[in-house]
Amino acid sequence: MTSATAVLRRTNVLGVATMLLLLGAWELLIRVGLLDFQNLPAPSAVAARAQQLLASGELMTNLLHTLRVTLLGWVLASVIGIGLGLVLGLWRPAWRWSMASFELLRAVPPISLVPLALLVFGFSVRTELTLIVYASAWPVLVNTIEGVRTVRPELRDVARTLHLSRRETLLKLTLPAAMPSIVVGLQLGLSLALVLAVVAELVGNPSGLGNALILAQLALRPEEMFAYVFTIGLLGIALNAAFRQIVAWTLTSAKPLPGKVS
Amino acid sequence: MTVERSADVSSAALGTQPRSVACQCRNASVDLGSRAGPRRILGDINFDLHEGEFVAILGRSGSGKTTLLRVLGGLVDPTPESVVTFHGRPVAGPPQDVVFVFQNYAASLLPWRTVHNNVALGLEGKVPVAVKRARISESLATVGLEARAADYPWQLSGGMQQRVQLARSLAMRPRGLLMDEPFGSLDAMTKASLQDQLQQVHQHTGATIAFVTHDIDEAVFLSDRILVLDGSPATIAHEIPVELPRPRDQLATKELPEFLRLRRQVYDAIVETGD
Repeated sequence: MTSATAVLRRTNVLGVATMLLLLGAWELLIRVGLLDFQNLPAPSAVAARAQQLLASGELMTNLLHTLRVTLLGWVLASVIGIGLGLVLGLWRPAWRWSMASFELLRAVPPISLVPLALLVFGFSVRTELTLIVYASAWPVLVNTIEGVRTVRPELRDVARTLHLSRRETLLKLTLPAAMPSIVVGLQLGLSLALVLAVVAELVGNPSGLGNALILAQLALRPEEMFAYVFTIGLLGIALNAAFRQIVAWTLTSAKPLPGKVS
Repeated sequence: MTVERSADVSSAALGTQPRSVACQCRNASVDLGSRAGPRRILGDINFDLHEGEFVAILGRSGSGKTTLLRVLGGLVDPTPESVVTFHGRPVAGPPQDVVFVFQNYAASLLPWRTVHNNVALGLEGKVPVAVKRARISESLATVGLEARAADYPWQLSGGMQQRVQLARSLAMRPRGLLMDEPFGSLDAMTKASLQDQLQQVHQHTGATIAFVTHDIDEAVFLSDRILVLDGSPATIAHEIPVELPRPRDQLATKELPEFLRLRRQVYDAIVETGD
């Protein structure tokens, strides 16, 4: 089978058709004048503007900024979330001391910290990174704790009767057993990282897709705004797909994932 | 049968040549926490396991059989005044050269490791790679699973998975095996074939085996001695020596008058203690 037919097989043809149909309807409604808002452009106008932005390199520059910050923030958040999650999940005293603080912090929506971060760090990439790390560390942390807590007690007994050291038990039993839960946390964290990157760029850091979106609004260029909105959407899809692919490659041996067995 | 014989009497009653003691249990009691405070599960358990002996621990469900086995395996701590030793050393944590085989094979195998790597788990970093490989293939051959080494546990039937766990234990070259209802959730045919396999393993390795079960036939068929647990807290209510010739056969042995007599005796012991 050629790769072209393989791609075709995996593509949801009906789904793509529906999408094209909706775009066509949008275009049509604007052309016949049924949809008549001052600042609602037709898809064709958006596409034309997107092409210009691509050609000038403007879109790519903004896209790369947002992509870089999102990934960097997500990686930092993941390291912190997994590390802290292991400590809190495996060491009871740590959990008892910190649980109340964590429950309180968790109840605060990360977006409500945006003005605060802005005040502390100013209009900078630091504001953006801080917000991303803070927001996306939560799901990683919570899922890591959950993952190591729910490791079946039988596995701990297995480790003991086979005389595995604490380090071996952690690396060979606890972590792999918690991995499905951690992966869920990482995936949620990645989506949140992009959300927070865009929010921070909208109000704080003067670069990236979010900032371009605001500039386009101030310049009254709705086609450009839509072009950036679609770009952000596509970036989200691409990040998610890349994440899934990497998970599929690295965890082939865990098929089916331990958590999905029963 | 009398209640609570001392170890000396029991080995005399066994009528065999005195063998050295592998495991000693003196005044062993266990308290487990409950909502109403600690509750005594086992009270004052006394017995010995001799080197190479196959002892079945029998009792109704909830009688504390598994708890007793976990005490021997160092997975549950008995009360401070209890004396439990394995190979002459007091049990504090899982003893050396003793491996516990769990009832729930599915939860005891690592689903992300192949059969081969599951068996390797206890050997990694402890023996040279060549020795490790040799022991893995040897123990997989013992349970007849060489051909499935590259498969994952979920690709195997329940009986095969339990054989993987047995192979993993055998690869450690244990002198003692503690088996907690290992065949409890298997169908009759699979159970019989695993009993035969375990009998061969016992013969070849000479390991001391303590085997918890609620299946009377299984206890009589496999063991040299049966301990019946009963009461609350549980004690050893009966101790029944099994002197059936070995090797034992699923059909011939089970047709022996002595087998039927023992089966009856054990059954009566359990029913009597229950009322």
